[in-house]
Amino acid sequence: MSQKALSRFHQPISVPGRRLLHHVPLKFVQKKVAGGGGRSVNQEIPLIPFIDFLLCIVLFLLASFSATGELPIDKNVKLPKAENVMDMVEAPMVAITGTQILVDGAPAGSTRAIEEANRLQKVDELFNILKNKRELWKQINPGKDFPGVVILQVDRKVPALVVKSVFQTSAFAGYPNVSFMVGRLGDGSGGGEH
Amino acid sequence: MAGIDVGGGHGGKRSTNHEIPLIPFIDFLLCLVAFLLVTAVWSQMARINADARVPGPPRDEEQQEQKPEKQLHVEMRGERKFQLVWKEGSTVINTIDIDKKQVPIGDQGDYKYPELAKKIEQEWKQNGSHRAATDKKFDQAVLHTDNTTPFSDIIAVIDAIYSPQRDYAFGGKTEQVPAFNVTFAVN
Repeated sequence: MSQKALSRFHQPISVPGRRLLHHVPLKFVQKKVAGGGGRSVNQEIPLIPFIDFLLCIVLFLLASFSATGELPIDKNVKLPKAENVMDMVEAPMVAITGTQILVDGAPAGSTRAIEEANRLQKVDELFNILKNKRELWKQINPGKDFPGVVILQVDRKVPALVVKSVFQTSAFAGYPNVSFMVGRLGDGSGGGEH
Repeated sequence: MAGIDVGGGHGGKRSTNHEIPLIPFIDFLLCLVAFLLVTAVWSQMARINADARVPGPPRDEEQQEQKPEKQLHVEMRGERKFQLVWKEGSTVINTIDIDKKQVPIGDQGDYKYPELAKKIEQEWKQNGSHRAATDKKFDQAVLHTDNTTPFSDIIAVIDAIYSPQRDYAFGGKTEQVPAFNVTFAVN
């Protein structure tokens, strides 16, 4: 199609640009609308609130920071859950996984003997390890009262006989405050130390 | 950018104004946030207490003859019922039967005994001996279990025993703690 033929019609596409007030035949209006008095397009990023926000996050994370790291939980142990619970404390961890008894990850006997005897039994290996730990604590902290807290990490299917035997062995070894590790259920506020 | 403007700097003197290097500071904060987020422990683990009742060192006040205290014995050996027995020494004061009604929680096989918890709370309100916030002692609950009872069942019952809460004044502040101490029966 030729140029002459096109000019007969209104052009549907026009060159982009400013239109508003451009037809006013006054110099100061032309100057203004041409962008002479336009606002700067530079923007200041509000860094101070950003730093405040970062500092809040840092403070929160530092408050919830645990230098001891995550509690070691065996993959095979499925813990039961409870509502009326207390917060965890630093104490020796006795885990019962399958037929093995572990103290802080180190083997400390087997549950097989208890199950075979079908009665409450003292686990000698566990007893000796806990007793040694207690004596070590007393050497490190002379003159202080021994808290006697031990935490049992027991799978939900372990029978009561094994639990009671380990419980009793811990008590004999000088750890009368036995706690069971559980999952926190709902909004249990917990409460404090007895 | 942030800076310190103390004026001056005219007449050939060096300006004392300073720009605070905010960008390295923000970089440092971001590194700190990243490190803390990576090492954060979002643990949902907690503990439920039990007491082996081993006698401690003798004290003067314990030398005197003491009247045996009331204890709540929770019998969970029955297949269909729990039995709550209040005992004073070897004397049985009261016996209550409660149906074993498990209420499942979640989809991982957890459950609880709300009826047992409710009844224990009622019983403690009626018969509990240590209810004052200044009382350092706790009422004693003794749990009787079968040798084959799974651990999850024991925890569900201990959880129910710990449902009654009382005030406990310690170190100038008062907090809510479980009203009972739980221990296991030997037999």
